[in-house]
Amino acid sequence: MEKLSRIIIKWKWIIVASVLALTIFFGYQTKFLTINSDILTSLPDDDPAASLYKEIGTQFGGNDMGMIVLESDNVFKTEILQHIKQITDSLRYTDGVSTVTSLTNILDIKSSEWGIEIGKLVDEYNLPVKQSDLDSLKNYTFSKEMYKGVIVSDDGTATAIIFTLLSDADKQAVAKEIKRKVENLNLPETLYFGGLPLMMNDINDLIISDIIWLIPIVFLVIAIILLISFQSFRGVLLPLLTAGISVVWTLGIMSVAGYELTIISNIIPVVLLAVGSAYTIHVLNSINHMALQDRKQALIKGVAYVIIPVILAAVTTATGFVSFVFGAYLTMIKDFGIFTAVGTIIALLLSIFFVPAMISALSMYRKKKTVEDTEKKPVLTHKILIPLTQTLFKHPKYTITAWAFILLVSIIGIFQIETSVNMADYFKRDNPTRVAEEVMQKKFGGSLPIFVVFEGDMQSPEVLQKMIETQRFMKEDPSIDVTQSVADLIEQMNDVMGEGKRIPDDKAKIEQLWFLLDGQDVMPQLVNDDLTKGVIQSKFASVDTKDIEAFTKKMNRFIEENQNEYCQIELTGMPSVYDKLNSSLLNSQRNSLLIAIGMVIFIVSAILRSVSKGVFAAIPVVATIIVLLGIMGITGIPLDIATVLVGSIALGIGIDYSIHIITGFNNHLLENGDAEKSIESVILLSGKAIIINVASVLAGFLVLLFSQIVPLQNFGLLIGISMIGSGFSALSLLPAILILANRKRKITANNH
Amino acid sequence: MKKVKVSVLVSALFLFFGLSTNAQDASTVLKKMDDVMYSPKDMTGNNKIILIDKNGKEEIREATIQQKGTDKRIFRFTSPASQAGISVLSLPNDVMYLYLPAFGKERRIATSAKNQNFAGTDFSYDDMESVLFSIKYTPKLVKTEGNVYVLELTPVSEKSDYSKVMVQVNKTEFYPELMEYYDKGNTKVKEAKYTFKKIGNYWNAAEIEMTDLKKNHKTIMKMSEVEYDTGLSDDDFTVRKLKQ
Repeated sequence: MEKLSRIIIKWKWIIVASVLALTIFFGYQTKFLTINSDILTSLPDDDPAASLYKEIGTQFGGNDMGMIVLESDNVFKTEILQHIKQITDSLRYTDGVSTVTSLTNILDIKSSEWGIEIGKLVDEYNLPVKQSDLDSLKNYTFSKEMYKGVIVSDDGTATAIIFTLLSDADKQAVAKEIKRKVENLNLPETLYFGGLPLMMNDINDLIISDIIWLIPIVFLVIAIILLISFQSFRGVLLPLLTAGISVVWTLGIMSVAGYELTIISNIIPVVLLAVGSAYTIHVLNSINHMALQDRKQALIKGVAYVIIPVILAAVTTATGFVSFVFGAYLTMIKDFGIFTAVGTIIALLLSIFFVPAMISALSMYRKKKTVEDTEKKPVLTHKILIPLTQTLFKHPKYTITAWAFILLVSIIGIFQIETSVNMADYFKRDNPTRVAEEVMQKKFGGSLPIFVVFEGDMQSPEVLQKMIETQRFMKEDPSIDVTQSVADLIEQMNDVMGEGKRIPDDKAKIEQLWFLLDGQDVMPQLVNDDLTKGVIQSKFASVDTKDIEAFTKKMNRFIEENQNEYCQIELTGMPSVYDKLNSSLLNSQRNSLLIAIGMVIFIVSAILRSVSKGVFAAIPVVATIIVLLGIMGITGIPLDIATVLVGSIALGIGIDYSIHIITGFNNHLLENGDAEKSIESVILLSGKAIIINVASVLAGFLVLLFSQIVPLQNFGLLIGISMIGSGFSALSLLPAILILANRKRKITANNH
Repeated sequence: MKKVKVSVLVSALFLFFGLSTNAQDASTVLKKMDDVMYSPKDMTGNNKIILIDKNGKEEIREATIQQKGTDKRIFRFTSPASQAGISVLSLPNDVMYLYLPAFGKERRIATSAKNQNFAGTDFSYDDMESVLFSIKYTPKLVKTEGNVYVLELTPVSEKSDYSKVMVQVNKTEFYPELMEYYDKGNTKVKEAKYTFKKIGNYWNAAEIEMTDLKKNHKTIMKMSEVEYDTGLSDDDFTVRKLKQ
C-alpha cells in the first residue's frame, strides 16, 4: 500500500491535471442533462401491464389529456359561464392544443321521433341570463349521462374544461403556457389543474426547486460539521471538493450515457455529498494521526494505512445502492442505484488518489498540529462513551435483552407496514397537484385512467356487444362512475335512427352508423385507424390498494371468461400498474435487502478473511433495519418508491461502523490479548469517529426534510433514524455480543 | 407650420380616397368571385373525396352531387360499398336529411353547430354551405400580387369560428385560388387550394384541396362529369327523392 501511496505522490500533477480536465469535461456535459418528469417512462417495459399502459395511453391519447376544474358554489350562473368560456377560448387558441371540451362548447345531441338536432349545450355567443334559463340548463345537464359527473360535478359546484394536446407538441411547454394564460385571466373562482401534462410540469418544477435549494443547504451543513470536526480550511475544502467533483462526474456520466434526472435521481447530489465526503474525511483523519515530523512521509503512511478501510467502506456502501438494480420495479430506481454507486466509487477513487495528490501538489499540509480539542472530546468521552462501556461490562446480558425487546416490538411493527403507490401522495399536502388530484377524485370520479382494450373487428355486432357488457360489469364496481367507448356512440346513433339504444345485429347497419361518427374528435380516443382495436376508457375513483387489488382481480376473471378468438380483451391503466407496483415494492424491499446483506457479509468476510467477523459485522445493521422497518410500521410511514431504498442504503453505510469496531477490536486484541480491554479502548477510540460520522451523514440526509417530494422527506428521515440506529447498535449490541462471546470462550477455555 | 398642415391634410385625403376606392374594389372583386362560383342555376356531377391522414394514409369515397341554386344539394355516396346508398340532402335553414339504406329510413338532422366537420372530411358545415361570400364577409383589399387580388375577409357574424379568411382571387377570371382560414387566436388553421376549369359557360371548382393544419389532415374533392343547367327542379330535392 505504501508503494501505491508513493506512486500517487509521484504522479500528483498528472492526477490533479486529469481530475481537473475530467471535471471540466463532465461539468460541460451536465449542461445537456435533461429532466424527465414523466413518471410513466419509468414503468418497466418488461412488465406487460405497464408496457400495455404506455402503449395504449400513447395510442388513444389519454396521456396527452389535461383538465382544468373550476369550482364555485354553483356553476350555473351567467358570470361563471362567461369565465368558463374565457378559459375555453384561451385554451382553444394556444399552440399545441388539439381539442377543448367544456360546458360552453360541448355538443348536444337531442334525438326525437323525427330525427336529431345537433347543437351546442350552451350558446357561447348568447349565454343564458335569466334565472329560469339557467335552471333549465342545469336540469337538462343533470338529466344526461354524458354531462353529469363528466363535465359538471354531481353537486353542480364544479365544472371541468378538458383538453387534449397535439401528439407532436412539447407537452410541458404547452402545459406551462396554458397555466400561465389561465392564471392571467385572474378569475375569482378556484381553479385546479390536473392531468398528466400539467402534473409533469409541476414535477419538473419540484425537481428543479429541490436541486436549487437542497444542494447549497447540504453543502453548508456538511461544511459546518467539517469545520467543527477538523477546524481547518483543508478539512472543510477537500471533503467538499471531492464530493462536489464526484457529483459533477456522476451527473456528467449520466448525461453522456443518455440518462435523465427523475424525481428520485435528483437527490443523487445530496446523497453523494453526504456519503462521498466521508471517504476524504477518513483519509484526512488518517494523515492527521500520523504524527511524523516528515510531512511527506506522514502523508504516504497515512494514505497507505487508510486505503483498505476506505475501500471497504465505499464498496459496502456502493453495494447497498447496487442492490436496487436487482430488486426495483421502476427503472428510475434502478438508475438511481446505478449512478449513486458510480458516484460512491468516484468519491472513493478521488479520496485515495486526488486528495493526497492535491495535498502534496499544493502543499496543503497542516500549518500546525491543532491543539487537542480540550472541550468536546472529554464531553463525548466522559458523558457518553465511558458510561456506555461501564454499562456494557456490567450488564451485557441486559443490553442484549433490551435489544431483543426492541427487536420484538419492531418485528410486530413490521407487519403493520403499509405501502403507498398513489402518485398524488408523493406531493406535499398543500401542493397544487395533490390538491387538484383530490378535487378530481371527489368531484369527477377520480383521475386514475383505466383502459380495457378490445382487439377484433370494431364494426362487428358481437365485439361491440361485448364492450357494452364489459362496461355494465365495470359500473357495478363502486369505484367506477363513467365508462366510454365507441359502442356507446353506436348505441346512441342507433337510437337516433329510431331503432332504440342498443347495438344493431346487422353489421351493415353498424358500418353506416359509422358514417355519422367518422371524423369526430373523440374517435381517435376510442378506436384505432384500421378499426382493429378499441378501448373502453374509464376512471377509477379509489386509490386504496385493497380496492384496486379487488377490482383488478375481478376484471381479470371477467376477461378470462369473456374473451374469444374474435375478440381479445386486455385490462390496463393506472390501477393495474399500481397493483403491480404495490406487490413489487414488497418484493423489491425483500430482494434488495437480502442481496445487500448477502453481498455485505461476503465482502466483509473476504476482506477480513473471516466469515464469523462478516456475520458479526452484519448483526448491528440487520438489527437496525429491523428497527427501521418496525418504526415505519408503527409510525405509518409507508413503503414507497423512495423509502423502499432506505434499508439497503442504511445497510451499506451502517456496516462501516461495525467494521470499525471489529477491526479495531482485532487490532487491540492482537496487541494486548485482553478482549475486555480491547473492547473498552475500541469504543473510546472508534466510538468518537463513529459518532462524528453518524452526525455528518445524518445532517446531510436530514436536509432532505426540506425536499418538495414527500417520499424523499421520509427517505431522509428514515436514513437519519437508521444512521443513529446503526451507530448505536455498533456501540452497544455488537460490543455486548463480543463481550459475551469472549466470556463464553474464556469459560470454555478455563473448563478445559 | 401651415405648409405642413396642408400636406398632412392632403395626404389624409389621399389616404381616405385611397381607402374608399380600395374598399370599393374589394367588394367588387368579392362580388365577382361570388358570381363565378354561384351563377349556375343547377349542377350535377361526380365527386371523389380523398381523405389523407397525417401518416399519408388515403381513404377514398365517391358520391354523386346534385345542386340547385345555392342552398339545395344532395350527396349520394356510391363507394365504398359499405357506405353506398347513404345520402345527404341539405335544405335551406340548416336542415339536413340523412338516409341510411341499411335502415331503410331517413332522419332529419338540424344542426346549429356548423363548425363540425362534414362526414369525416376537413370541410365544416360552415365551409360547405353556399352562402355568398359577400354576405358572410366584409372584404378588404390587402394587395395585388402577380395575377391575384389578395382579399382579407372579416366575418360579419361574431359566431364564425374564423377571425379572418385570406383569399387570393384570380385577376382575370375572378375565381378563388387559395383561401387561408385564421382562428380567433389569429393562427392559420386551414387552407384550401382551388383548381378551376371552364366547363361550358361556367368556371368549375374541379379540385379543392382542404388541409387542416392543426390535425395535419387533408381532404381533396375532385369533380368530374359536371353538367350545368340541366333543369333540376325543387322536386328533385325532397325526402322522397333522397331514398331513391
